[in-house]
Amino acid sequence: MNMTDRNKSPIKLKGVGNSLWVTFDPTQPVDFLQEELTKLFKRMKHLVVNARIVLDPGEQEGCDDVVKKLRVFLKDTFDVGAVSKPPVKRAVKEERIRQRDIGSSWHNSASEVLMLTGRVRSGQKITTKKHVLILGDVNPGGEIVAGGDIVVMGSLCGTVSAGQPDNEDSIVLSLDFRPTQVQIGGFLAAGIPSSRGKTVEFASVEDNAIVVKDYLKANPFGRLPQPLVR
Amino acid sequence: MKGKIIVITSGKGGVGKTTATASIGSALALEGNRVLLVDMDIGLRNLDVVMGLENRIVFNIVDIVKGKCKIGQAAIKDRRIDNLFLVPASQSDNKDAITPEEMIRLCEELREEFDFILMDCPAGIEQGFENAVVAADEAVVICAPEVSSIRDADRIIGILFSKSITPKLVVNRIVPEMVERGDMLSHEDVVDVLSIDLIGLVEMDDQVVVSTNMGTPTVLQKNSKAGDAFRRIAMRLNGNEDLPIVVPQVPNRFWKKLGLKIGLGK
Ligand SMILES: Nc1ncnc2c1ncn2[C@@H]1O[C@H](COP(=O)(O)OP(=O)(O)O)[C@@H](O)[C@H]1O
Ligand SMILES: [Mg+2]
Repeated sequence: MNMTDRNKSPIKLKGVGNSLWVTFDPTQPVDFLQEELTKLFKRMKHLVVNARIVLDPGEQEGCDDVVKKLRVFLKDTFDVGAVSKPPVKRAVKEERIRQRDIGSSWHNSASEVLMLTGRVRSGQKITTKKHVLILGDVNPGGEIVAGGDIVVMGSLCGTVSAGQPDNEDSIVLSLDFRPTQVQIGGFLAAGIPSSRGKTVEFASVEDNAIVVKDYLKANPFGRLPQPLVR
Repeated sequence: MKGKIIVITSGKGGVGKTTATASIGSALALEGNRVLLVDMDIGLRNLDVVMGLENRIVFNIVDIVKGKCKIGQAAIKDRRIDNLFLVPASQSDNKDAITPEEMIRLCEELREEFDFILMDCPAGIEQGFENAVVAADEAVVICAPEVSSIRDADRIIGILFSKSITPKLVVNRIVPEMVERGDMLSHEDVVDVLSIDLIGLVEMDDQVVVSTNMGTPTVLQKNSKAGDAFRRIAMRLNGNEDLPIVVPQVPNRFWKKLGLKIGLGK
């Protein structure tokens, strides 16, 4: 890095989340940095009052005293709110271990799925806070209410409510999808057109409405980086 | 050997429970079994009318249960078919005139005296239904090929399973011409939803109305398709489980036309 390159500002500003992210070159003299900060902050006037500031010295290490001086300066001069260093980034090695842990998290996940075999008949109701997987059919007049997803490996002709009371990310999937009524979270749909078992279909919420799609074509979870517990 | 209690039920009314009870019971008696028909439709009795035994009623099922008479006094013997008896329902009582405990006690006695006891179940799933199924060993569910009938039969089947009774299915009132045109559900559609063992398919048959009005069991009528079907159902219930199921067919058009040409047929 060029110590005397005074044309190029040693400071960059951007808004990240609810804070102002200030990247600076800690190799520059403190008074020069302060000068440059003043230029930028003056232009923003009242916007910086009480703003949360993150002071990021980039890849450089051991510049705590520069950060400390700049923090005092910003607080005194511009009345900013909290000033902090960027959250500590995980080391690459550490990150890899973490990813591996997520990838195999299903090993020690307590089951979140209620799996049933058989036929849900007219007048029968299955209620669970979990996801529900039915190896069988749901007859007209049968009812399923689940906290999460509903998957029917067979014909679904009854009434289903997934994601109760308010999980709109839930889906309803069936090999032969012709439900009387589908509810996902607070959204309700009836009179859903069906391929009558020609394709595997699923319902989900998109743009505040329930939509039904071909499961294999839409492949909603195919792009996840690794198997995740749902 | 102790007798078997079979409840004939459907959930919905008017699909043929009473007709089936009378027909299957008669056929079982014709095969040499000692058979008792019990009308459990208390308050709306009509099995006695269908059997043509209305004018011989003295006591009824409530009288037996309340100790007013013996089983032998209340059971009316059929004059046409040996070993066939009917215990009528009470017309004046409510469905809750009998408790399930009383029913269980009565059925213990009936098992000693008869080979088959057929219970004609009332419509609905209330007390009357509970009483009819509480002591049953087997159940026959009658279903018409209609969406509402299937829905009710399905509900009944669920309840029967929860009482550890595995029901068998009869699809009644099939009109083959309508099925062929696609205006009526086929028996396969019904079995698809209900998925229990099928023991018979009964056609819509004018003979049923005739025999109901005359008070003669359908199975005594000659050339009755429904009567034949009920007779085969009785054989299956009587242990002949491998008897193939006959699917009602549209009469062969060629022969019909030919018959008309040469002056045969009706
Ligand atoms: N296979 C059939 N063909 C023609 N009519 C039938 C048939 N089965 C039943 N019925 C008629 O349907 C009506 C209702 O039958 P019923 O046995 O009394 O039903 P439920 O006892 O279930 O109420 C009766 O008039 C009966 O004659
Ligand atoms: Mg009846």
